[in-house]
Amino acid sequence: MSDLVLTPSSALDRVLVPGHYGAEAETPGVTISEHTDLALASVMARRGKTSELAARVKERFAIDLPMTPRRAAGGPIHFIWAGPGRWLAAALHQSPVTFEGDLRGALAGLASVTSQSDGRTIIRIGGPKARKALAKGVPLDLDPRAFGPDDTAMTIVAHINVHLWQCDATPTYDFAVFRSFAGSFCEWLLDASAEFGVTVHGADLQHQS
Amino acid sequence: MSASSRQATDKRQPYRLPGGLIDRSQPLRARFDGKDIGGFAGDTLASALLANGIRLVGRSFKYHRPRGVMTAGPEEPNALVELRTGARREPNSRATTTELFEGLEASSQNRWPSLRFDVLSLNSLLAPLFTAGFYYKTFMWPASFWERVYEPLIRRAAGLGRASGESDPDHYEQAFAFCDVLIIGSGPAGLAAARTAARSGARVILCELDFAFGGRLLADDRQIDGMPGHVWAQSVIDELRSMSNVRLMPRTCVFGVYDGGTYGAVERVNDHLPEPPPYQPRQRLWRIVAKRAVLAGGAIERPVVFAGNDRPGVMMASAMRSYVNRFAVTPGQRIALFTNNDDGWRTAKTLTTRGVEIAAVIDTRLELPDHLSAACAGSRVIKGGQVTATSGAHGLRAITVTTREGAETIAADALAMSGGWNPDVSLTCHHGARPVWNEDIAAFVPKSAPPGVTVAGAANGKMLLSGCLVEGSEAGGAAAADAGFTVTASSPPPVDDESCAITPMWHVSGWHVNGGKAFVDFQNDVTAADIALAAREGFRSVEHLKRYTTLGMATDQGKTSNVNGLAIMAVLTGESIPATGTTTYRPPHSPIAIGALAGHHRGAEFRPFRLTPSHQWAQEQNAVFVETGPWLRAQCFPRGGEAGWFETVQREVRTVRSAVGFCDVSTLGKIDVHGPDAGVFLDRLYINTFSTLPVGRARYGVMLREDGIAFDDGTTSRLADDRYFMTTTTANAGRVYQHMQFCHQVLWPELDVQFVSATDEWAQFSVAGPRSRETLQKFIDAPLSIANADFPYMGVAECTVCGGTPARLYRLSFSGELAYEIGVPTRYGDALARALMQAGEEFGIAPYGTEALGVMRIEKGHVAGNELDGRTTADDLGLGRMMSAKKDFIGRVMSTRPGLCDAHRPKLVGLRARDPAQRLYAGAHLLPIGAALTADNDEGVITSVAFSPSLNHWVGLALLARGPQRLGQTVMMVDFMRDAFHEVEVCSPVFVDPQGERLRV
Repeated sequence: MSDLVLTPSSALDRVLVPGHYGAEAETPGVTISEHTDLALASVMARRGKTSELAARVKERFAIDLPMTPRRAAGGPIHFIWAGPGRWLAAALHQSPVTFEGDLRGALAGLASVTSQSDGRTIIRIGGPKARKALAKGVPLDLDPRAFGPDDTAMTIVAHINVHLWQCDATPTYDFAVFRSFAGSFCEWLLDASAEFGVTVHGADLQHQS
Repeated sequence: MSASSRQATDKRQPYRLPGGLIDRSQPLRARFDGKDIGGFAGDTLASALLANGIRLVGRSFKYHRPRGVMTAGPEEPNALVELRTGARREPNSRATTTELFEGLEASSQNRWPSLRFDVLSLNSLLAPLFTAGFYYKTFMWPASFWERVYEPLIRRAAGLGRASGESDPDHYEQAFAFCDVLIIGSGPAGLAAARTAARSGARVILCELDFAFGGRLLADDRQIDGMPGHVWAQSVIDELRSMSNVRLMPRTCVFGVYDGGTYGAVERVNDHLPEPPPYQPRQRLWRIVAKRAVLAGGAIERPVVFAGNDRPGVMMASAMRSYVNRFAVTPGQRIALFTNNDDGWRTAKTLTTRGVEIAAVIDTRLELPDHLSAACAGSRVIKGGQVTATSGAHGLRAITVTTREGAETIAADALAMSGGWNPDVSLTCHHGARPVWNEDIAAFVPKSAPPGVTVAGAANGKMLLSGCLVEGSEAGGAAAADAGFTVTASSPPPVDDESCAITPMWHVSGWHVNGGKAFVDFQNDVTAADIALAAREGFRSVEHLKRYTTLGMATDQGKTSNVNGLAIMAVLTGESIPATGTTTYRPPHSPIAIGALAGHHRGAEFRPFRLTPSHQWAQEQNAVFVETGPWLRAQCFPRGGEAGWFETVQREVRTVRSAVGFCDVSTLGKIDVHGPDAGVFLDRLYINTFSTLPVGRARYGVMLREDGIAFDDGTTSRLADDRYFMTTTTANAGRVYQHMQFCHQVLWPELDVQFVSATDEWAQFSVAGPRSRETLQKFIDAPLSIANADFPYMGVAECTVCGGTPARLYRLSFSGELAYEIGVPTRYGDALARALMQAGEEFGIAPYGTEALGVMRIEKGHVAGNELDGRTTADDLGLGRMMSAKKDFIGRVMSTRPGLCDAHRPKLVGLRARDPAQRLYAGAHLLPIGAALTADNDEGVITSVAFSPSLNHWVGLALLARGPQRLGQTVMMVDFMRDAFHEVEVCSPVFVDPQGERLRV
């Protein structure tokens, strides 16, 4: 034991500095913030245990485990589809260690659980021009006809793997990016958004889902 | 032109007519070759040049012949200019597609000293030298002249325009779009298709490469639904614009059809402005994904091949209608028309309507329907005539017309020519289809189209407006219906009378023609005589014809020349045109700026970087960074007073060997492997066994490829019965993960194992050196004890540090010293680096980079990427004993192949120079002493070298034939590149602490 203190820091401390960027605009076309107060874990069904796992998740978290690229919520916890038999579980205002431990306990024998709270940086993107900006790198149809709230997808943006989901219809999106790539991702994002005017908010201005 | 109408125009625009679709309220000024020209919004550079009476706009590629504007579209072969100045200078810009803007600056190309007097036009006199195959015949001998004489000579003389040589100051970007129905082209067929599809509610994207929608409706004086064609087009556009399910994309060229309904397109977002507005791209590269597409790209009019057909003033008949009707410019004051088809006569009608004098209408056909000449009553009509020559130094003054009655010279300052129309089939062929010949319109038409594409209108060989409107609407409706929408049929609007009969005329030749160049490919200066020469010399296949003569190989890709060229070849060889066939059409349909293809990814953003958890801290320490795969890693941490990296690295190594140092090793691939069968899974991946590894211990493992060659290595720890944490090399992290996915999903789906990347989850530092335990003890929370007895070499623990921060501690050593790896959640990585500096200060701690890491692993004989080079086996690397005989694993069977078990294979050894002052070179070869320095005597290669601060001389690792049996022997290091030849001694690869005592203290 010592007087050494470890203070957490973000991968985006120097990249996403709060302020206004790009074109002058009365209302910024795009808003960006890092969503730091989210505990994350990979949940992977054990072999042949998917339906038992779904029942357990329903019982413990009151969530219908999505079997298609969707996000499902139960209170402050979300299960986000991440491939066949895989989910990213997310919890607001929870310690990563507690969340990983709780999940591992709750889903024992039915799923393998690995913390991703530090492995992913979550970047929240909104604003009236969000879709237009994202079209410059997201190779997916984000039109409301094709992609709506709680839809999720895993894809590649600017040569970077991303896992994204739509939070609401305004629209707001969360992009989960491998933490080491977060800087390069945000450089692309700021570049793509600049013509619409961008406001970068400090981390976690919005705490809704 | 009447005197009154001329007075109404700007004096400096003597060829400007009244009317047109330009905006006279917005006059614009531009400069061409330093001369002021005027124009209006809605002009192209070409129409402005013509309005100002500038007919000579460039010199041709090979013969430097004077050339003028020939077309009004993207197929333009002649009017290529350098646009803009300075870093934005863009050569080979087509004046016909360049929108005029205020302050536009353009200059002509391929002339010196001036456009009117061009020295290299003397090339025309040397024409016999420049015929087809010229390069192949002339620059053959002697071979040694090629690089130093011929190539520089050709390069100087060839090419059009000059690149700016500066970095492009503009920004380009890429974007994705999705729709139910993509419409390519906004002529009558495209508009009809878009309207029908859009009314069904389908998401429609309409791409038009022009800045104005309407296609030929803007250029031809036609009537649709009782209104002028361009008014009808505007009404459709207005309707489309009002619909939320429609995206209109002007200035957008669809250049390619790719798999899965993906289309490539370039949007020239701000090419029509002097500079893009702030934060706006110059161009945008679109990938459009469409459930269905309607290709309505129209047709391109064919020139007629006759002597002197390239003289400024000779122009496509359809282009002339574009200039007169759309741009309100007449290309001449007394215009002749040369046609072989009914459509060409529309130009005569237009000129008559607009009051421009017609010198004569020459039709190659003897029999003509009356309605054609009725539309231009009063004009002279010559039936069965051919234009056989033209004259005029820098522009047309007269033409020679030959009929059965004889030849006659007719004064004319412009000549419209029409050889018929070629449907623009290019995009239909991008999946390999070849077009088929249609005798009725004497042109190739699409045979089939890529999946999901329907061709409509002139692109499909429908040469009448009425047919375009019907077919367009049907195609748009069918596309929307295929995409799942309900379409309401509507009757096509009525149009005015029309006809399109044609009698082909490929080449005006025969006894009555007195020579003179008849151009087929105007941009590459390929003449009918060149095609005849190719035929004589046996280059008769169209693909040979193309490459021998360069027909169709210019930036216009032969849009106006290919069909004429192959038709002439067909006549010469006596084959039919369909049997002669076409060359291959490939994307892009039109030239694309490289910048648009790069988009965001240029300069520092060429590709994304991965940054380590301690990157920011390392920057503050003045670290020098190195790219290792996608990662930026600290290479070394120079301090003031150090002469260079060598000194820095020596100091970093000495610090680790004598005190304590630390290094960010977070870049190693980390994979969480969970599940009841995790141990079995790892046993099958690695050559050694992991199912027997106790919880709380780590083990070094090596895995092979299926072919028995070493693939990757790393340590794996067991954290619980069903939880392992494996690490890979930095370079192979992605490949190993893919390999594991393949093995699990394909080979052993029965195993109950789950795994996921945890590389970014953990910030991991190697803390190494005799004082490392003392340093780390300051971090570790109770109850974990890291005393040697409690936490031995290869021990692993999940613990907390600094009062509750979760952590993992591994007693691993790559340096050979007492060492640990400590992992914390990545958010604490930066803080951990700072805390290590603080905690280790009293012991003289220092960070070390990849360079010191490399020196220490070479001193210890650990293999890395240099040795794991995809050619070595585990045995080659001295790791053969690790291969378990008790179990099967990937690569086991193939590793027993005779070639991989050959006793003479090069194997890992250490090397040191006989003379300790000599340095070793990685990449140098090893030969027996006294052997001739030839490849036959090669016995091995040096893979890694370092100057060892511990031993104070150079050490190396090498792969040497029978190496382990040759310890103590001397071999020759041979390096021709660095001129280094000296004797080296073969030794054990472990130079420091061979018994491994230091890491167990």
